[in-house]
Amino acid sequence: MTRPAWVRLDNASNIFLAARSDADPKVFRIFAELNHEVDRGLLQDAVDEVYDQYPLYHAVLRRGVFWHYLQDSDLRPAVIGEELHTCAPLYQPHRRNLLFRVLYHRRRINLEIFHALSDGTGALWFLRDVVDAYLRRRHGHARLETTTPPTGLSLTMDSFAEYFRHPAEGTSGERWLESDHEDENPGDPTTNRRSTRSVYRVRGTRTPDHRTRLVELTLSGSELARQAKAEGVSLTMLLIALFFESVRLASGGLGRARTMSVSVPVNLRQFFPSTSARNFFATVRLEHTYGEGADDLASIARGLERRFAAKASSSALESRVRRFVRFERMPLLRIVPRPFKDGLLRLINWANNRGLTVAISNLGRVTLPEGADPHVGRMGFHVSAVRPQFCAMSHGDQMTLSFTSPFLETDHVREFAQMLTQRGLDVSVAAVRASEGELAEASLDGLREVGA
Amino acid sequence: MSAEASGRACPRCEVSVEGDWSTCPLCQSALTGRAITSPFPAVPLTFSRRRVFRVLFLMSLALVLASLLVQLFFERDDADLGAWRFVWLGVATMWLVVIMAIQKRHNLAKGTVYLVAIVSLLCTYWDYLTGWNGWALTYVVPILCASAMIAVLITVRLMRMAVGDHILYSGLTAVMGLVPIVFLTLGWVYEPLPAAICGVLSLITLILLQLARGGQVRHELSKRLHM
Repeated sequence: MTRPAWVRLDNASNIFLAARSDADPKVFRIFAELNHEVDRGLLQDAVDEVYDQYPLYHAVLRRGVFWHYLQDSDLRPAVIGEELHTCAPLYQPHRRNLLFRVLYHRRRINLEIFHALSDGTGALWFLRDVVDAYLRRRHGHARLETTTPPTGLSLTMDSFAEYFRHPAEGTSGERWLESDHEDENPGDPTTNRRSTRSVYRVRGTRTPDHRTRLVELTLSGSELARQAKAEGVSLTMLLIALFFESVRLASGGLGRARTMSVSVPVNLRQFFPSTSARNFFATVRLEHTYGEGADDLASIARGLERRFAAKASSSALESRVRRFVRFERMPLLRIVPRPFKDGLLRLINWANNRGLTVAISNLGRVTLPEGADPHVGRMGFHVSAVRPQFCAMSHGDQMTLSFTSPFLETDHVREFAQMLTQRGLDVSVAAVRASEGELAEASLDGLREVGA
Repeated sequence: MSAEASGRACPRCEVSVEGDWSTCPLCQSALTGRAITSPFPAVPLTFSRRRVFRVLFLMSLALVLASLLVQLFFERDDADLGAWRFVWLGVATMWLVVIMAIQKRHNLAKGTVYLVAIVSLLCTYWDYLTGWNGWALTYVVPILCASAMIAVLITVRLMRMAVGDHILYSGLTAVMGLVPIVFLTLGWVYEPLPAAICGVLSLITLILLQLARGGQVRHELSKRLHM
């Protein structure tokens, strides 16, 4: 008699379940583009091999009376051709299905994950192992010892609980932070105060079937990094400044809402020595108000960088996450049945969303195992989005910026691309067809191809 | 790599475009040059049947509940209403059971628990509307509970359901079977036999469950009631 293992959802995952909607199913995709068309059989073998090493990915999501929980399952993943739009819903409350899928289309291997299971870093480990296992089968290079920490792949590891649970005792989280000092200046109004100024929010026409509108820009990551360095800012902050500027240019006048704000996820594994493949990140909110001081790109980026440094210090993040965990563990809240909790979280999420213009996520430069690396070109990721968002990822010299949005309009992407080309970068655009008109054009072309 | 193999060019954005676009997906200018294949398939639009069903589902549920409420306002023994009330209560019951069955179709044991609860409540309500003769509490509820217990036992055997999936619902049907005993002790029934049989049956089931699967029941309970 074996009982399936189970574990409660971590702190960050609960909000994903509550915030899930038709337009934003809280699914993200990570992909690797190979130098040949993907062989389905080999990919299935590779996925089978890696799946066995990742107990976490066997989990299905179930609903308890007070909380959701993950439970082990006997299901096996089947590789499928890409027949759904990117980041299509994965979790359905009444079905017990896996919380990820592996898709392929031409040269791309895509891994899609329901965000309550894992974050980008955890998912990247899985994709990296799948790509390596696939290429090992195809080219026969030897298996190198895996860099993925084996302990973190289990179902039970929850780094939020590990580092932030007990406020009274000196937790491992605090011990790790002893050497760190907060350099935030409490007198500086720009770092702490939540803005009361009205935040600009992008509006637009929703896609006809709630699919995620996706445009990918591919460019030279090293060249953009060089430009950022020349301006004395980090690449991520330059990208945010460019994003703010492109939204402003596409808006046709901000009106009274002159503040742009962005939500940036910060990987907590860089501060806390966690090897968990589950969610382990916090988000930081940054903003810039136009018309108050210098509005050129470099100044915006530098201002953002200053605020980011204060908010993303390990001590600032720790107190923030600790607050969430304390909230989650409040005795009164614990006995509230799950549907009410979900309602409450949905409300909090809605209020949060009102204060955000855009969101970005940068997974940085990815390295693959040596034998696999030369066969892989672009890598990148997409997320489902309730607001314009972009995700950045580099492999080799190629940086892929994926813009996703619930709206059909791509004006801000146009401005972004034009700013990049004006900076002398070569930009390649790949877009998904989302409107009825665009799809009609594609089907006409398809008919011509078969000679109808 | 494909990114270097540039596709069509947009003269206005000065970007290259992958895929067979005739106009720039960003600025709608006409593109020049030779097309290369897109990294994405053109996925046809899907109009979610699920969303349509959800709207229908909620509407039917609201209508059924409203009709039950409306019937409360008619005189209890209104002779003119007569057969109409039975027809209408029957229709409302039918739809409520259908809605519940669709909602709980993924777990038969769970569905049975809901079925027993809903039909028992409806029949009691029906009894109350038609003059409170006590037939629902005396016969319907005990017979339903006892039958459900046996039905769940047969179903999980036949379908080889995983123990964890049905154990709590098997237990729940047995616990519901104890409710007619309460009616009996409060003197709400005019014929004690059905309630007594049902009560004994559920006591036996509960004892057997505890003996055979006690650990499993505690495991499932701790999982689902975890705070």
